[in-house]
Amino acid sequence: MSISNVKLILMRELRDQLRDRRTLFTIAVLPLLLYPLLGMAFLQVAQFTQQHPTKIWVIGANELAEDPVLIRDSAFPPELCLSLDVSNLLQLELEEDRQRLGEDDDPDTAAREAVQDGEFDAVIYFPPEFREQLEQFRDRLPDRATPVGDVLNKAVIKVPSPRIYYDTARDESRIAHDRVSSVLQKWREEIGRMNLEKSQMPLAVARPFELLRNDVAVEEQRRAAIWSKILPFIVFIWALTGAFHPAIDLCAGEKERGTLETLLCSPAGRTEIVLGKLLTVLIFSVATSLLNLASMGFTGTFILGRLQAFEGNMLGVHLGPPPLVATGWLILALIPLAALFSALSLAIAALARSAKEGQYYLMPLLLIMMPLMMLPMLPAVRLDLGTALIPVTGMMLLLQSLMEAEYAEALNYALPVIGVTVLCCLLAVRWAVDQFNNESVLFRESERLDLGLWLRHLVRDREDTPTVGEALLCGVALLVIRFFANFLDMPKDWNDLFVLTCVTQIAFIATPALLMAIMLTRRPGKTLLLRMPRLTAIPAAILLAICLHPAAMLLAQFVQHLYPLDEGVQQVLADLFGQAPNIWVVLLMVAVLPAICEELAFRGFILSGLRHMGHKWRAIAFSSLFFGVMHGILQQSVAATVVGCVIGYLAVQTGSILPCIAYHLTHNSLAVLASQMAPESVQGIPANEWMIRFAEDGFSYQWPVTLTGTTIALMLLYWFRNLPYQMSNEEELQQTLDHQTIPESRAMG
Amino acid sequence: MIDVHELTKSYADLRRGKFVAVDSISFHAGPGQIYGLLGPNGAGKTTVLRILSTILRPSGGQATLNGFDVLTQPALVRRQIGFVSTNTAVYDRMTGWEMVEYFGRLYGIEEESLRQQMEQLFARLQMNNLRDTLGSKMSTGMKQKVSIARALVHDPPVVIFDEATVGLDVLVARALLQTVSELRDQGKCIIFSTHIMREAERLCDRVAIMHCGHILAEGTLSEVLESHQETDLEELFFQLISRHDAQQSEADVSNA
Repeated sequence: MSISNVKLILMRELRDQLRDRRTLFTIAVLPLLLYPLLGMAFLQVAQFTQQHPTKIWVIGANELAEDPVLIRDSAFPPELCLSLDVSNLLQLELEEDRQRLGEDDDPDTAAREAVQDGEFDAVIYFPPEFREQLEQFRDRLPDRATPVGDVLNKAVIKVPSPRIYYDTARDESRIAHDRVSSVLQKWREEIGRMNLEKSQMPLAVARPFELLRNDVAVEEQRRAAIWSKILPFIVFIWALTGAFHPAIDLCAGEKERGTLETLLCSPAGRTEIVLGKLLTVLIFSVATSLLNLASMGFTGTFILGRLQAFEGNMLGVHLGPPPLVATGWLILALIPLAALFSALSLAIAALARSAKEGQYYLMPLLLIMMPLMMLPMLPAVRLDLGTALIPVTGMMLLLQSLMEAEYAEALNYALPVIGVTVLCCLLAVRWAVDQFNNESVLFRESERLDLGLWLRHLVRDREDTPTVGEALLCGVALLVIRFFANFLDMPKDWNDLFVLTCVTQIAFIATPALLMAIMLTRRPGKTLLLRMPRLTAIPAAILLAICLHPAAMLLAQFVQHLYPLDEGVQQVLADLFGQAPNIWVVLLMVAVLPAICEELAFRGFILSGLRHMGHKWRAIAFSSLFFGVMHGILQQSVAATVVGCVIGYLAVQTGSILPCIAYHLTHNSLAVLASQMAPESVQGIPANEWMIRFAEDGFSYQWPVTLTGTTIALMLLYWFRNLPYQMSNEEELQQTLDHQTIPESRAMG
Repeated sequence: MIDVHELTKSYADLRRGKFVAVDSISFHAGPGQIYGLLGPNGAGKTTVLRILSTILRPSGGQATLNGFDVLTQPALVRRQIGFVSTNTAVYDRMTGWEMVEYFGRLYGIEEESLRQQMEQLFARLQMNNLRDTLGSKMSTGMKQKVSIARALVHDPPVVIFDEATVGLDVLVARALLQTVSELRDQGKCIIFSTHIMREAERLCDRVAIMHCGHILAEGTLSEVLESHQETDLEELFFQLISRHDAQQSEADVSNA
């Protein structure tokens, strides 16, 4: 790969984008103009809301006591309001001023209608005898002859409650409710105070103590805590959207304009082209994000300042600009994530034939990324090993820790977060390079979507083994069927579980794969790897499963530690399996059936098709991913993906499904036996303490056994590696391309 | 210089299913020679030329340019060729000079010699007026001149023209044909695809008439005409294609 070519392409693309008015507008002009304009509009609306007068209808105002006064000169007295402004904004209409209630009218109905019709923002209703009851209550307070408790309880019960009518569906009515509630609460406190005075009791009876709050966070920490929740989301969402436009222009746009072919016949390699374009998209993604951040920051700080001036300190902290160190961490974390977003956008945009099509294709990426970015904003989500391994989410949580200066926590999980992000980046870049090497992607012609034509094409143009598309279709179809199978009734007992598992394995996994192999390929036997391997391969596969079992258990325990399975689910599963008549039926259900059905589908149809990609390890990885996701429960999926890689390797090296079935059967059988293992069942076995141990989380192997097993397993895998295996045409071609070593000087000669 | 042996390219799409765009064709073109690929639209000419320029991979057969295999040594092949096609557009937001310079630098040409080479090219192709003109402001003819300069900037031994005169006015087309002729005189091997017979008659040393992925006739112009006892290339072209279509229809009926 030539770095100078990458640099040349980068510089050209940068210059090209900077000469594009649409790009400049989206990246620079839009954030600089949009946010100040939005901010001004927001302030206007906020100001309007704050100054909007509230119309209140008071029914039964004549029921109010004169002391303490609630309504004076047809208005609430300013001392009961938050401020003089609020007092002026509350416009009261008293029942006495307007005879809207007839003799027979129900005040409750009238109040509801008045609010619902929008005639008033709120209605306060004081029921009849409210004043009398309140005065009676107060008058009887000093009567010490009656036991105090009885008097008070009776008195309180007799005072009828005033009612506030409001409509939460209208903003004005909600604001009216808040304002009126505040006034009435103050008025009630005043009545309470007078009652205490009347009964010659100190005010401390009602408020025996005051709560003193001591927030130990320093100003900067509080600011950092607030910013660490807001900023990463804003910055990363803009990084993602900022990658969209250049990615579409550099891929779909170039295809549309015809310049991509010009570049493809130049000496620049596909990897160089992708890297040059990727760096361009990355730069624009980062620039968009930072410019938006700066513009939003300035506008936001200004607006918050104005709002705080109006309404006081709403957030409990003066929200100044984020601390400088926090901003530094943010920019540092932005680069790898922007690289990931850029590579994904570029790969997806390469699929599109036009800029318009590119916009459609990139929308799902946004929909996938949004939940990953919003997850860290939930209060209960903390940075741990489990969350650190989730792409994007882990990086956002790590960033939150760094911004809040929790360096010890951040340091603990920095490695897995960076590892996962770098891995995702590399995979995304690889995918983008593959897209640029794929003729059907680069030169795809517009075809009308016709289901009939497509189905006819699938059957008419069959190959010996499935195409990559057919393999992916099978994998996705199995996952969709699996998803809908979840809606079947939950098993209530062992019989239900047994039937459900058998139906799932046979009808939902094996049958679709078999049908697709028969209908979509010319040689179903070759597709499903139905051939005898060399005889030693089957016992070798069984031995491999046995030797890898301690490591597999260790992996399962590690996954369980990372993502603990809900105890309720564990208990339900234990209860169901506890009802099994004998272990043989369990083995049939958990080991034999999945070993046959799942192998036919995942190592048979799907892996055979995916091998047309030209990379056996990529085919193994993708088929294993399908196999893992199929297991449904995250804890099982992770372990199944790893096991799927081992079985996939056996399938490729032996060219037969039988060693795969043997491995799968052995692996699952050992898992069942291990779950049934109890301390008393191994008593009497010589040296069992040396080999196994029992802890709270169950049975596990001693480490020398795990180590020895893994070593033998590696030797067995080496043996499998040396078996001659049949490559697909695409794998042969790729190998030829990978091994060509023609000196560059010959080319120039 | 160019050796094509049993070259095949097949595709699959929904409407036609799996179909062969180029069906086991062979030909040879040497230095100082213009080899004409003649055929109607959809004959497979562009597919052959895209394979030769390593944009597409062949499904079968072999093709070498200057000794380098298009399948296994694509990077080296690309250094041997200049490719001008109706599909190879110019960048809208680059000037003529910037575009040619960009490709020259991609070929790794030293700055000083690149500048000299570009000065000569711009003078020879009479395109000095395009130095500072953006691609978006150029006419079709101007764009084609820039494309030719881009394809020749590294002085390649093989130059491929794929229907390069399509959409050009008579004057520009004539100038382009003159350029092609000059390139032959410089000893370059030229592949010139067209469906305009007059251009082929005027320029080509050897021709291959292609239709539906097959070569129906191949040789020097006189060889091709004599072997089919014809005097006019356009007439021969119609005859060969009509005959092939008729045979194909008969075969389809008998298969049905």
